Amino acid sequence: MNRFITGYILIAAAMLMFVGCSRAPEVSFNEQIRPILNERCVNCHGGIRRQGDLSLLFRHEALAAAESGERAVVPLKPAESELLRRVSHTDPKHRMPQDDDPLTPEQIQTLHTWIAEGAQWEDHWAYVTPERPALPGVSDPAWPSEPLDHFILSRLDEEGLSPSPEAECPVLVRRVTLDLVGLPPKPEDVRQICVDGGSYETYVDSLQASPTYGERWAAMWLDLARYADSKGYEKDIGRTIWRYRDWVIQALNDDLPFDQFTIEQLAGDLLPNATESQRIATAFNRNTMTNTEGGTDDEEFRVAAVIDRVNTTWEVWQGTSFACVQCHGHPYDPFTHEEYYEFFTFFNSTADRDLDSEYPTLPLFEEEVADEGSELIEDIAQLEEDIIARVRSHALAEERRAWETTLDQPEIIGRVRLMLQNEVKRVVATPEEQRGDGQQRTLDHIYASVSDDPQLERLRSEKVEKEQVLRTLNAVHTPIMQELPFRRRTHVFERGSFLLKGEPVEPNTPNALPPMPEDAPRNRLGMARWLVSRENPLTARVTVNRFWEQLFGIGLIESLEDFGTQGLERSHPDLLDYLAVSFMEDHSWSVKSFLRSVVISSTYRQSSRVTGELEAKDPRNRLLARGARFRLSAEQIRDQALYVSGLLSPAMFGPSVMPPQPEGLWNNPYDARRWQTSQGNDRYRRGIYTYWRRTVPYPSMATFDSPSREFCVSRRIRTNTPLQALVSLNDPVFIEAAQALAQRMLDSENPLEAGYTYAIGVAPDEKVLDTLGSLYNDAMTHYTEHDDDVTTLTGDQGSAELAGLTVVANAILNLDQFIMKE
Amino acid sequence: MHACGNYDPLSTRREFLGRLGMGLGGLALSSLVNPALATGTDLIPRAKRIIYLFQSGGPSQFELFDYKPQVNAMHGQELPESVRKGQRLTGMTGFQNTLPLARSHFSFGQHGESGTWVSELMPHTAGIVDELCFVKSMHTEAINHDPAITFFLTGSQIAGRPSFGSWLSYGLGTENDNLPAFCVLITKDKGGQPLYARLWGNGFLPSQHQGVQFRSGMDPVLYLGNPDGVSSKQRRMQLDRLRELHQLKEGAPGWERIESRIAQYEMAYRMQTSVPDVMDLSNEPDYIFDLYGEDAREPGTFAANCLLARRLAERGVRFIQLFHQGWDHHGGLPSGIRVQSGETDQPSAALVQDLKQRGMLDDTLVIWGGEFGRTNYCQGRLTDVDYGRDHHPRCFTLWMAGGGLRSGFSYGETDDLGYNVVRDPVHVHDLQATLMHLLGIDHERLTFKYQGRRYRLTDVHGTVVKPLIA
Repeated sequence: MNRFITGYILIAAAMLMFVGCSRAPEVSFNEQIRPILNERCVNCHGGIRRQGDLSLLFRHEALAAAESGERAVVPLKPAESELLRRVSHTDPKHRMPQDDDPLTPEQIQTLHTWIAEGAQWEDHWAYVTPERPALPGVSDPAWPSEPLDHFILSRLDEEGLSPSPEAECPVLVRRVTLDLVGLPPKPEDVRQICVDGGSYETYVDSLQASPTYGERWAAMWLDLARYADSKGYEKDIGRTIWRYRDWVIQALNDDLPFDQFTIEQLAGDLLPNATESQRIATAFNRNTMTNTEGGTDDEEFRVAAVIDRVNTTWEVWQGTSFACVQCHGHPYDPFTHEEYYEFFTFFNSTADRDLDSEYPTLPLFEEEVADEGSELIEDIAQLEEDIIARVRSHALAEERRAWETTLDQPEIIGRVRLMLQNEVKRVVATPEEQRGDGQQRTLDHIYASVSDDPQLERLRSEKVEKEQVLRTLNAVHTPIMQELPFRRRTHVFERGSFLLKGEPVEPNTPNALPPMPEDAPRNRLGMARWLVSRENPLTARVTVNRFWEQLFGIGLIESLEDFGTQGLERSHPDLLDYLAVSFMEDHSWSVKSFLRSVVISSTYRQSSRVTGELEAKDPRNRLLARGARFRLSAEQIRDQALYVSGLLSPAMFGPSVMPPQPEGLWNNPYDARRWQTSQGNDRYRRGIYTYWRRTVPYPSMATFDSPSREFCVSRRIRTNTPLQALVSLNDPVFIEAAQALAQRMLDSENPLEAGYTYAIGVAPDEKVLDTLGSLYNDAMTHYTEHDDDVTTLTGDQGSAELAGLTVVANAILNLDQFIMKE
Repeated sequence: MHACGNYDPLSTRREFLGRLGMGLGGLALSSLVNPALATGTDLIPRAKRIIYLFQSGGPSQFELFDYKPQVNAMHGQELPESVRKGQRLTGMTGFQNTLPLARSHFSFGQHGESGTWVSELMPHTAGIVDELCFVKSMHTEAINHDPAITFFLTGSQIAGRPSFGSWLSYGLGTENDNLPAFCVLITKDKGGQPLYARLWGNGFLPSQHQGVQFRSGMDPVLYLGNPDGVSSKQRRMQLDRLRELHQLKEGAPGWERIESRIAQYEMAYRMQTSVPDVMDLSNEPDYIFDLYGEDAREPGTFAANCLLARRLAERGVRFIQLFHQGWDHHGGLPSGIRVQSGETDQPSAALVQDLKQRGMLDDTLVIWGGEFGRTNYCQGRLTDVDYGRDHHPRCFTLWMAGGGLRSGFSYGETDDLGYNVVRDPVHVHDLQATLMHLLGIDHERLTFKYQGRRYRLTDVHGTVVKPLIA
């Protein structure tokens, strides 16, 4: 067992002692007992299934009497513990696990010792607030350049491995450039650092200052945010929500601290004096799907959207698959069915309700009507206030109270919108002085809409008029989150079905995690602040692990989406905690600062060249005795090809664009919209600006594992298929790139060398150059004899040389070293 | 560990081949077989592949296969509340103030030795009823198209799970070097409910398991064709040089990974030949076109796709998913369903016969059906010549044939008004479990760990319907 795990057990043991044991127990619950229970017991006795009315998830459950009256676990008394009796029973009919292999004698002994020692439960590490671990000692104090290097080297020391030397300069420059801005370096950048001795750190700073930085990192975030340009479900009508995508890019470029980044997306609308930008940020949770299919129940799909918001929040910030708990208690982790709906309550009081209009939205007016638009909005807000003031005026007080008493009559309440009826009944039942402002407002609104007071009628019609004018103004309407003036009553949904309402619940966070502060508001804002509090054990760990995975290809815990007890093992537990604490405390949640500390580390700068021994010992590079090497992402592959050929448009932001895609993919009969290939530079924008239709994803990117964005995705599993080769060989986008690169080559003194250098960042060696030469000659043999092919491939202005170079460029753009980050 | 693995590093050649959707014959097959299948199961595979003729939109059982004289007798009368029992309707008829029963516009007759009732709309299907296994007691949970079709093909109403074909690709791998394990064919120019990539998507499985759509026209698989001005010969030459460039690293550490890059390009090249080859129907004899119907000569029709399905099956493709849209007859049902039946009846029957005459029906499963059924009452105005039917998830009919199924057999029964199942209900998850069973898969054991949980096609449900099995 390695030293860190040992260390961890000691800490765990120390904690147990603190709980009251007089001597350190021999058995660790987390390391030894939980794996047995999870692997062999809880499938039948926990979460979903409680056979024999026994669950072994929580201590109080295990200690309680089961259906048989026996207690599975009696602390300190192995002889009285039914669990031990049953796992060691000689008769297979009575032995547990039933119809399966028995536990090993060692496992039974371990359980025995654990019960004898008091049968203590331990919290899973991920639910305990991380503390900063001390830097471990290392064999070579000169190697680490950043604190994180200590953890990597110390582990290598234990394994008897040594780190690799630093990567060759051009390789490192290409790596860090792709990592930080998603594009390869320019040959002159490589030269500046590798030949002229420029500073690597300064180069890193310049990359982070480049606007392309935000575009690269937004790609990762948009998978989590399930951002797309369509509403999803059957009809998958278009949606205008690109301002959210632009917000993410801008926020990353501005290095908005991650805690603030979180709060604005989850609850920007609830911040005091929320700015337009903060309200656009809340579109994060309007990326849920809207079902516009005929005959659907809007409430069903409103609830589905709220469920998605809950599940996404848990996956993105807590690395926890909360979705299980929607229908039943969590099968492995300490979350109950009720707790799911208590958390659900935070999201259940927004004004959106699966409407085709995507209400509520925030308008951005075209410039020529911007003044008129904002004036109208102010006027409408004023009229709104006037209406409420009139309703509350002395003149109407009596009439209004009289109206309230009629609300219990079916024909009166029947005129109130169905959604509000229950709320109205509840408000009316509350004495006036005890009503919240929101509750009172709801009632005032309804009264205002039915009263025949002439003054109210005038205000109303004026408001309607202005709203109508407002709708005619040209504007981009972005769906946003907006809280209702009252709170929707939330029930547990039995088996997750919105039709089966159980007990009502109040907003809360699960018990297994540190609680919200007493005085925190029990709304989305309070919840968002809870997520990014120093005490929250998961947010920082989950987040640094995501960044780590982006840079190294595999997380310190590989299951980015699951930090629960079923998650995969951590490669460097202490490093994960160190980075999490450091992210919060040293970097003050600054993503740029955090990423900088990683990319300037010795660990990151290692050569990715692998030796036979290392390959055998650590094929997946979990130990990081070498640098990372993996295939580029879908967006990067596209962007890189366009960039090295000089085609990539630097334009940022705005509506999504439609680069060439094969004909006939958009055949949605409900939707007249067609894929209209963008003209001019918009053909060559970065992949992040490509129109993302959920039911028909852009095919070349989907082939390189980009998701549909119908739901949150933490990890793109990289694959390697022949279909990918077909894309990079034949997709017109790649052919255009090859043609443009060929033109650049033709304009250079040494075309073959130039082409390779543009693509890979370094000049080819002699053998590569020779082979490129042979390829060029082969191609020339053909094109000098086939004018028609020359014209087809290179156009009227083309030449055999250009055609030949196009074939070479096409090959270069398919080289392994081009497709991989090394 | 394997199941949640990161699929990139291409660390060894063997792993690479194993992970590739289209592997290299036996090598790929043996490494792809899911360990869950090989151990501790007495399952004997009866079938090797599935051809699923999905009829999107929800074909009406009343006009095709579920003969209900009682509905005919009560034509125009209100659906009794004692039958409906307040069950959920869609938003389209939920506010209709009358729900009159509507008789089938088409007559039924009994066919074959089994005496199976089939309507006049399906004469060719009627001719082969003794080969077929009807399930008249299908029921599902969803009432709208998107959730219902997603449920049928991924086991969950919510987007995000792998599709049926992806599960099979993951579980059984491929038998062909040069074609994807999972192919999708959609009847062209149909209209009706849209279809989406999710229905043949890989969900959380690695993306090589997603279905590959074959299209009629120039590029049957996206990006298959060489760019204009680059001939096949030139492409060969270019790939040879590309291989040489890669081979410059031969022998260096990490070489095996590069070797798999070379293999990736070679397979792409082979697909450029094998796909057009399978799509080329010109060598099919005339009697085949007589069997499938003249439509089969027109690429992209359902008939042509049925024929193509057989050709893909012959080449060892594991799951061939056809879609035929246009069955959503909320109104204008008599004329609409006549067109639909005309397009699908003959080719569907032909496919079964063709597989049989080649001895392939024994190890191929053919399924014909939609995502739900239709109501016994009329949607919109009921007249003598026209009516419509709304979605109905509580009962509907589909048929299957081949690989280990009973033939000339009908299973399950609906009540006299065709509103509820009264005997032997078959849930969507039961159907999935049964089909997997016939392929030699224990549906509870073919799982993939994701988000800390082992997922499977049948979620936590599904029971193999033993009576369907011969």
